[in-house]
Amino acid sequence: MRQFEAPPSGKWTGPNHAGVKAPEPIVLADPATRFAATAKRLAKLADGHPMEAWLRFMAALAEAQHAVATTLAPASSLNTASVAQAVNARLPPLAADGHERDPSWREGLASLLDHIERSELPPAARDAIEQLRRSDAAALDKLADQFLRGGLSAADAAAAVYVAAALQVYFTCSAARLKADDLRLLEERSLCPCCGSPSVDGLITATGVTPGTRFLFCSLCSTAWNHVRAVCITCGGTRRLSLHGIEGDIGVIKAETCGDCHTYAKLIYQVQDTQVDPYADDLASLGLDILVTEAGYARHAPNPLLLVGDDEAVAS
Amino acid sequence: MALTRREFIKFTGLGLAASSLGMLGFGAAGEAQAAAVRPFKLTHATETRNTCTYCSVACGLLIYSMGDRAKNAHSNIIHIEGDPDHPVNRGTLCPKGAALLDVVHAPTRLKVPRYRAAGATEFKEVSWDFALDRIARLMKDDRDENFVEKNAAGTTVNRWTSVGMLAASASSSETSYLTWKVVRSLGMVVFDNQARV
Repeated sequence: MRQFEAPPSGKWTGPNHAGVKAPEPIVLADPATRFAATAKRLAKLADGHPMEAWLRFMAALAEAQHAVATTLAPASSLNTASVAQAVNARLPPLAADGHERDPSWREGLASLLDHIERSELPPAARDAIEQLRRSDAAALDKLADQFLRGGLSAADAAAAVYVAAALQVYFTCSAARLKADDLRLLEERSLCPCCGSPSVDGLITATGVTPGTRFLFCSLCSTAWNHVRAVCITCGGTRRLSLHGIEGDIGVIKAETCGDCHTYAKLIYQVQDTQVDPYADDLASLGLDILVTEAGYARHAPNPLLLVGDDEAVAS
Repeated sequence: MALTRREFIKFTGLGLAASSLGMLGFGAAGEAQAAAVRPFKLTHATETRNTCTYCSVACGLLIYSMGDRAKNAHSNIIHIEGDPDHPVNRGTLCPKGAALLDVVHAPTRLKVPRYRAAGATEFKEVSWDFALDRIARLMKDDRDENFVEKNAAGTTVNRWTSVGMLAASASSSETSYLTWKVVRSLGMVVFDNQARV
């Protein structure tokens, strides 16, 4: 036993890769790569996929998002004081439902429509573009509010995809202006610390300093935040968790179901495929959603690019 | 019917037709996906947290098992890995901890009490009642014989120094509390709450 010596300084003196490290709580997305990565992965997943036509459309949409994010880059200009105020109150600084949008998001939408129009589209997808072009600024903002706060009517489902895509670009570029160190995880851990939106899915990392940790990916501003594994992200339950996968696949995507609240959230295992993209792989794994729904579970929250009507949803 | 990005959703064939996928003119893709996945079944694994049984470092574990603990279902542990969220080990395990799955399934693993009578050469399986009665009897006899009520100066000490005890490593604070209360109330002083190996 060491006695009567100088106490240890407590600083790690070994090699940098050794020792255990805590994961980063919040990782902000880089708008320069976020949408391009999704487009690339979607194009790859589309080959021979039962939903090839739709995935190719989604890839084209992600390409258009990339073009807007890297040229116009519509974003809000939040001052550091208001960010600090929100973070101190444990509120998301870019709160999707309360945030006053910069009008530049509409320019982003117009540019997005110009880009997506160049690809091959079904007539319904073209009609939705025309519908948005005919709408004035007030109508577009109303549609955006309905998408963000709820109360979107089923008749607007097609146009809402373009609005959602434009808002993803706007919120991703806005979030990129913040510093991860200024942000703090919300007490409600299943919601994005940046904009308060639900996640599309969780990625179980295989690389970096903390392999094996779960990061949830925001459905709106693309922020990734750490969430403890083996905990239901909806109700926090741990007692009746199960992992469901499709028999015979290589196990890249699994659904974590909770027997207490009967919901599920998808998990993507990077260790099985290092090329995964949380947004692309979620859309391409709709088959798993269908099977898990049939088994009696409801999805935690939808992907904003695939909104499904729900009788229980409350229209405002 | 309203669309929402926040509420829980369910994916059904009918729902997909009315979804943004159907409304954009890709209804056929949705139908093709529903049909393509139809022949497949879901695999099922239960995910639970636990603590490594080996030493007092008490690394966190994630344990995966088949079977949903339903009636008539036989559960079977299929995989054990370090818990990446546990502040002690952050997903890492030592070689002994990494081999825990083999410990769980080892044919030589002790699952029932066994007893070798004095002079006998073989262990034989005995009931829990027998084992607990036997331990209690021996403890009582030894304590009656060796209990020290007062020391040489006549001060009351209530010590029982001839028997010691090691508790398990993977014990929670509550387990440790109960172990402490049971053992100390007997006067036992040679005692470690966590086996340090």
